[in-house]
Amino acid sequence: MGGERLKIILSLTPPLLIIITLFFGGILYGLLQSLGYQPAIGKYDINFSAYYNVLFSERYARMFWTGLGLNLWVSFASTFLAAVFALFAALAIRKTFFAKTICNFIYSLNLPMPHLVVAVGMIFVFSQSGLLARFASQLGFINSPGEFPVLVRDKYGFGIILAYIWKEAAFFFIILMSVLQSLGENFEELAQSLGANKWQRFRYVILPLVMPNLFSASIIVFAFSFGAYEVPALLGVIYPQMLPVMAFEFFLNPDLNARSEGMALSIIIALIVMILVIIYFWLTQAKIRKD
Amino acid sequence: MSDLKIINLVKNFQGMNRPAVNNVNLDINSGELVAFLGPSGCGKTTILKMITGLFDPDNGDITLDDKTLLTTPTEKRGVVMVFQNYLLFPYMNVNENVGFALKMKGIEQSIIDTKVREMLDLVKLPDIGLRKPKQLSGGQQQRVALARALIATPRLLLLDEPLSNLDAHLRDEMRELIVTIQKKLNVTTIFVTHDQEEAVLLADKIALIFDGELQNYTSPKNYYERPKNTKAAKFFGGVNFIKTKKNNNQLESELGNLIYDGNNIDELEIENIVTIRPENIKISDKDEYDHNSFKGLIKSVIFSGTHTRYKILIKNIELECSLQSVGINNIKENDEIYVHLPKNKIWGMND
Amino acid sequence: MNSNLKKINIYAIYLGAIILILPLIAFFINAFSFRWFYPQVIPKELSLQAWVRLKLIPKSGQRSFEGFIDLWASNPAVIKALINSLTIGFLVTVVSIIIALPAARVLGLLNFRFKKLIIFIMVSPTILPPIAFVLGLNINFISLGFSGSFLGVCLVHLVPIMPYVVLTMTGIFANYNPDFEHQARTLGANKTKTFFLITLPAIAPGMVVAALFAFLVSWSQYLLTFLIGAGKVMTLPLLVFSTASSGNPALTAAISIIFIFPAILILFFTSKFVSGESGATSGFGKI
Repeated sequence: MGGERLKIILSLTPPLLIIITLFFGGILYGLLQSLGYQPAIGKYDINFSAYYNVLFSERYARMFWTGLGLNLWVSFASTFLAAVFALFAALAIRKTFFAKTICNFIYSLNLPMPHLVVAVGMIFVFSQSGLLARFASQLGFINSPGEFPVLVRDKYGFGIILAYIWKEAAFFFIILMSVLQSLGENFEELAQSLGANKWQRFRYVILPLVMPNLFSASIIVFAFSFGAYEVPALLGVIYPQMLPVMAFEFFLNPDLNARSEGMALSIIIALIVMILVIIYFWLTQAKIRKD
Repeated sequence: MSDLKIINLVKNFQGMNRPAVNNVNLDINSGELVAFLGPSGCGKTTILKMITGLFDPDNGDITLDDKTLLTTPTEKRGVVMVFQNYLLFPYMNVNENVGFALKMKGIEQSIIDTKVREMLDLVKLPDIGLRKPKQLSGGQQQRVALARALIATPRLLLLDEPLSNLDAHLRDEMRELIVTIQKKLNVTTIFVTHDQEEAVLLADKIALIFDGELQNYTSPKNYYERPKNTKAAKFFGGVNFIKTKKNNNQLESELGNLIYDGNNIDELEIENIVTIRPENIKISDKDEYDHNSFKGLIKSVIFSGTHTRYKILIKNIELECSLQSVGINNIKENDEIYVHLPKNKIWGMND
Repeated sequence: MNSNLKKINIYAIYLGAIILILPLIAFFINAFSFRWFYPQVIPKELSLQAWVRLKLIPKSGQRSFEGFIDLWASNPAVIKALINSLTIGFLVTVVSIIIALPAARVLGLLNFRFKKLIIFIMVSPTILPPIAFVLGLNINFISLGFSGSFLGVCLVHLVPIMPYVVLTMTGIFANYNPDFEHQARTLGANKTKTFFLITLPAIAPGMVVAALFAFLVSWSQYLLTFLIGAGKVMTLPLLVFSTASSGNPALTAAISIIFIFPAILILFFTSKFVSGESGATSGFGKI
């Protein structure tokens, strides 16, 4: 028994050590810095002024709250739309038809694609001189690039949302396809024999069956899009700015005082994501208890 | 010579409120075929795994030819185990599977090839050497697993539930094969089973294990006629138990006094229990027996093919009796009959 | 009516597929036509100009075997970044697999106290955003001298990759029967032989998929490399980002094509392993 315990400890220590020192160590150090502890510039006292500045000061408050608004809007919209798009794609594709394998491949194609490349792709397709604008121009819908709507580097975050839909729909798609495949069509056939029409079968049979997986995938996508840097950095504007980009730019600011605010911002982002995940677990646990 | 001794063997597992194996002692003689019999979770497979070295005992010793096995690593013990689900390596073909043990010894490939062919002949499966395990039926997989285990002439062969995954019609065939090969190679063999019928048909001796403790270790016949305790008797289909009090060489029971011929009379305590196999009880409509004869009432008659079972009530005790169906069709429910418990067929136990 | 509906369904799927690969089409047009002016949909002329400017293809007239060798030997920025990305990805993947193997085995096969807590600690980097730890770590690494070093970048890449590899391989071990190893041991195989002849072949398929995607996670890393590498360790994503920010679409497209090539290749060879249940998928959030 003693040998077994030793084996467990020895096996788990290396990966835990990496995660605890680098990941949690990094967070802890960031937390200390956000609280004003900056030995590099001779500051050792602990205070909450960085948090106060970010949340309420005249200089940053407007930036932060509009940024938070943009963050929530982008994450909710892209998660929801990607999930809906993937759901309909998966429902349509699972029924066998010609070129199913190829469609399957194309719909999964963005899964391993780096976010960075997807963001660049959005510029190529949706910018005012992009592929779609050219189509529109050829078809006579617009006369000059300026008439094409601003869809990338726009203040509403459309470009960012589009990029996340592109990328995360593939993630949802793969998860939904495997859920649907493992469920088979028995439930639907049963519902049909009980008199459910196409819409009712979707609403009362398929949706409840895929919902748990869809929901947990949504949490992953939401958490990711809430804290990711690359896509908003390439496709966003200076104001309003998404929080991760803001944190990063504070951090790189030559004024070392802004560094505390950058750290505070990154801790706030992590806190929001954490609260969200806790709510999710709390909800699912409550549901499990209820069932 | 491969005499196996298991001495005071103890094994505890985390999260179990009793030892998985509790102070087990066993001597197995060279060439014997021994069954470890017991319900699942009784610790029999744990003992097997300690013999192979996959578990280390918490206490006690295991010796083979009077040398301890515990300090030898698994692969050098010469103890081969055949697992319940055969565990043929899926990416090796039959030849590679069977030859595995010889390859581990670094033996020349041409010799391995010859030996593999011999072993496959022995288990009556020539010509399947190039197939992959998943192309074989359950029975074939079992034979390949057996051939693989035997190829390096192990000092001890361990079989974990060898027949449990097979269809009924394959079992008889496989059982015969195991016995034939075991006697032919004269390899000391232990097999684990939860099926008493299987143990009786195969084994020279049976070790009955309940809750990690050895209950009884003796020949199959003794389990029927001279079980050590009621647990052992019940496991082998014993149904008739009569509480008695020892008084000199007589046993007093609710039925009346029993004359007892068993050689364990001195070991019996005052309060004891007497059992008799249903097939050893005699009944008659006349009072024709000279001892242990009691008057009873037939409660039920159950015809089950070659035998017919009768439930008989004598005072408040119900006994079950089994007679050959041929020629005794004149006994019906509610008949009054005389029941005879021959003195040399009843057997007393302390608990 | 029903068959009409089905047809609409199928056309919608095809349309969706075309929309999904529009960016890819745009990448190729941009990369192989240097002057693709608005409002052309189809470029007037094809050109390798972008590749020549990136010093990946020699100028016309020098496109011989020696020409290529000479050009690549001059160590152009893209080749340098490519080699960096490959080396870091390879090293980090191998290290993470070796570290994860025993841990995943323990987590997949045994039950013990604090197992849930340990898994929770392992998963947390896959949920919390990288910006939360990398800013603090950056300062730490500067004081330790890891900042701007190859080693520092490799270490920081382990953070998103380690949990992913441990969890995926835990899944593999959860479906693995260790009795096969016991069987081999009783047949005379020692521990080393058992590992290479029995354990490794059994877990290899899942492990290769895990390794390929772990590689992709490292391959796609921008923020972590940028901050810890401090501009001294140039990898492909950094090059893509800076080229894209500077605004030359042809160059951006050409580098991007090199950048996404392994992703498509890996998906192509592993598509049958990739499903929602395989656990391999969960790592994609980090790409």
